Amino acid sequence: MWFLDFFSNIFEHFSDPKKRIFLGYIFISIGIAFFWLILQKKLSLRQAFWKIFDKKVFFSKSSKSDYSVFVINRIFTLFISPLLLTQMAIATIIFHLLHKIDLFNASVFSNFSKVWIVLLFTVFVFILDDITKYFVHRWMHKWPILWSLHKVHHSATKLTPLTIYRTHPLEGIVFSLRGAFTQGTSISIFVYLFGNSVDLITILGVNIIVFTFNIAGSNLRHSHIGIRYWNWLEYIFISPAQHQLHHSIAEAHHDKNFGASLALWDWLFGSLHHSTDIESLTLGVDGSENERSHSLHTLYIKPLGEIIFYSVEKLKILKISICQFGIRIQNKFYALVKQ
Amino acid sequence: MLSNKSKLSAVGLLVAGLSPLMIAGMAYGDSSNNYGPFPVTVKGYEGSATNSVSYSGQIARHVLHDSLKKLASAGDGGSNAEAAEAEMMAYFAGSDKNKAIISPASKDDYQIKQTLMNSLSKGKKLSNKSYKGVVNGWPGQMTGPEVLEFMIKKAAMTKGGFDTSTGYNYPQLISKFAMGAVFYNQAVDNYLDEKLAADNKPNSKPYKDGKHYTGKEHVWDEAFGYWGAAAHTLNLSAKESYEVAKKKNFAVSDANGDGLIDLKSEMTFAHAYYASSFDKGGKTNYLHTVTQAFLDGRKLITAANGEALTDSERAKLVAYADVIGENWERVIAESTFKYAGSVYKDITKMEEMLAAGEDVSKTFAKYSKHWGELKGFSMALQTGKHNLGETAVKLNRLIGFGPVLLNASQVTGIDSNGDYLKDEALSWGEYKLHMLKVQKLMIDKFSVVARSKDQTANMEALADKLGDSDSAEND
Repeated sequence: MWFLDFFSNIFEHFSDPKKRIFLGYIFISIGIAFFWLILQKKLSLRQAFWKIFDKKVFFSKSSKSDYSVFVINRIFTLFISPLLLTQMAIATIIFHLLHKIDLFNASVFSNFSKVWIVLLFTVFVFILDDITKYFVHRWMHKWPILWSLHKVHHSATKLTPLTIYRTHPLEGIVFSLRGAFTQGTSISIFVYLFGNSVDLITILGVNIIVFTFNIAGSNLRHSHIGIRYWNWLEYIFISPAQHQLHHSIAEAHHDKNFGASLALWDWLFGSLHHSTDIESLTLGVDGSENERSHSLHTLYIKPLGEIIFYSVEKLKILKISICQFGIRIQNKFYALVKQ
Repeated sequence: MLSNKSKLSAVGLLVAGLSPLMIAGMAYGDSSNNYGPFPVTVKGYEGSATNSVSYSGQIARHVLHDSLKKLASAGDGGSNAEAAEAEMMAYFAGSDKNKAIISPASKDDYQIKQTLMNSLSKGKKLSNKSYKGVVNGWPGQMTGPEVLEFMIKKAAMTKGGFDTSTGYNYPQLISKFAMGAVFYNQAVDNYLDEKLAADNKPNSKPYKDGKHYTGKEHVWDEAFGYWGAAAHTLNLSAKESYEVAKKKNFAVSDANGDGLIDLKSEMTFAHAYYASSFDKGGKTNYLHTVTQAFLDGRKLITAANGEALTDSERAKLVAYADVIGENWERVIAESTFKYAGSVYKDITKMEEMLAAGEDVSKTFAKYSKHWGELKGFSMALQTGKHNLGETAVKLNRLIGFGPVLLNASQVTGIDSNGDYLKDEALSWGEYKLHMLKVQKLMIDKFSVVARSKDQTANMEALADKLGDSDSAEND
């Protein structure tokens, strides 16, 4: 029985509407892909079918390693997640802190219309979640230690919906902490200010805005179907092709399009790039499709080695700087003594 | 041949004739689930008694407590203080007179069998059975009976038991503390503790010479009596037991179908009532767990048939006692949790009303009532078998000696004349934080489950809705 439980735990994301790979969203994404290929790319139904279910994509070395990483990471998560800081722990700390500060009376706005409170909470949670995803993603690219981890995701040379799980476990911990922080903050501040009226608008138990993005084909971000939006719309929402461009090895595309759902943050903070034709892109870190770049050793162990190497190098520099500083002080001291 | 009409009449008569029997039968349920009667097992007993169960002294103390609680609100603001105090003391410290039962009393068609104290048990009092240790949760370093007497004197001087200058609601303080200091303390720290030792009240001897019950039988029965459950509790749902205490369901209360409620066996009192109030929410099962452990323990003692209990039998009995003690403690912790939540809500309400310029006097009275319950239960929690140590210190400091008052002051002690001393208090926000911490303390230390009036429940519900934050996925 434990084996069945274990098995169902590993694959439960396919049946959980809170997760992007929920089968319902996958089917809708496939439908959207058909529409796009037939109406926009003028392919026949048959051609569209073989384009979507392209075995060169789904049986590529890159995708096969995605599947292994998916299972291994789910097992990791089952063991690690009970040890992580939860959103409730953070919410409780902040909730207590707000009482301590006592700037406003708790529930000071509880007389507001419930409809507005619920609407505000639903939008706030989504916005805070999306903007923090943007910044964490940006840091993942800009900070060498974090890039060593995030590179695992970018080493995919073919994209499938399961590529979202191609994530180093340490990076997963960073993501979990971000999630706990944003949820804990939103919950505690809203309950403190608005009392028991706070609620979330949901469909199938999911934030309605997140649900809308998921049925709008969010799975196509990690796919070979390069759906592009109108230029003006790509300032607001990230199109699948914009995210595929984020995975491109071309230097002009480096550090562009960090956004998760909204492109607004990229636009505001100077990292927006409009989409191009996916056929012109080479995906990955260095474009190699060799066995080693998708091996489990490369995906799990190599990043740790890089982090250690990087840290040692930094410590060496620090040691040299401290020595130089010491010598300077020593010289000044001798100079003073001589005088 | 009977006509159809005659057949219907015959069936009607049969149903009408059997109905009282059926109702009585239904109310009684499975008699093997009843706490008694149990046979007399004392060796050499020559009297006429056939039932060895006896806990009428404990029921008398429940009734003294209920009556005292009623009397605690009898003061008129000072002019009748002496008489009010004397009357309360008669129920607290005993009286030569056969005092009337003030509560539980009959109402409308809900008739109670006993109306005078002596019909339950003669000469019983609460003062000599109260927790003998120092009560750290109350100012003055007094023992249990001293605190209760102090409260009684103060209550007598108030109007309706409520002192607006300190925020003390004496009926609640007295009642909630007394339930712990007398019933809980006597049961878990006396009868279910040292009196379960092999050489203390052995099962091979009568409890006292000439008695029709053995030492262990009576020790166990007395502890059960203090728990306060009706003898047929295991045949009732938690909701029904709750209704019995509230005098709202005569049919299930009147187990023997005699048309009267016998306080000795057909009433739910004290912590058994609070257990039922939590259990009817469906998350807990304190009432039946504790009552079942009592029943199982009693069956074990009865099965020894008047012989001394073997070591293994006594070990089993101690295990039942542990179940009882642990769950009983959790019932008091659940109550503390609940009223910390109520106090939090009341303060929020008062803050809103004050901001809107509204009169808060009624809400303040409600807040004081809830605070009295919180304080009483929190003090009761500290009268058990174990020294709660740091948990008790935290609890007492978080709640303080008095509620935070509207003028931001709080009782901080008492002077040598027994008058209250007050000082600057915490802000409302900080005091509310203390209430949240009390609730967290009850979760962390007593694993409370019912969590009535949980002030962070909404946050947990929202966290559930938002889903796990532990997703290791790239977007």
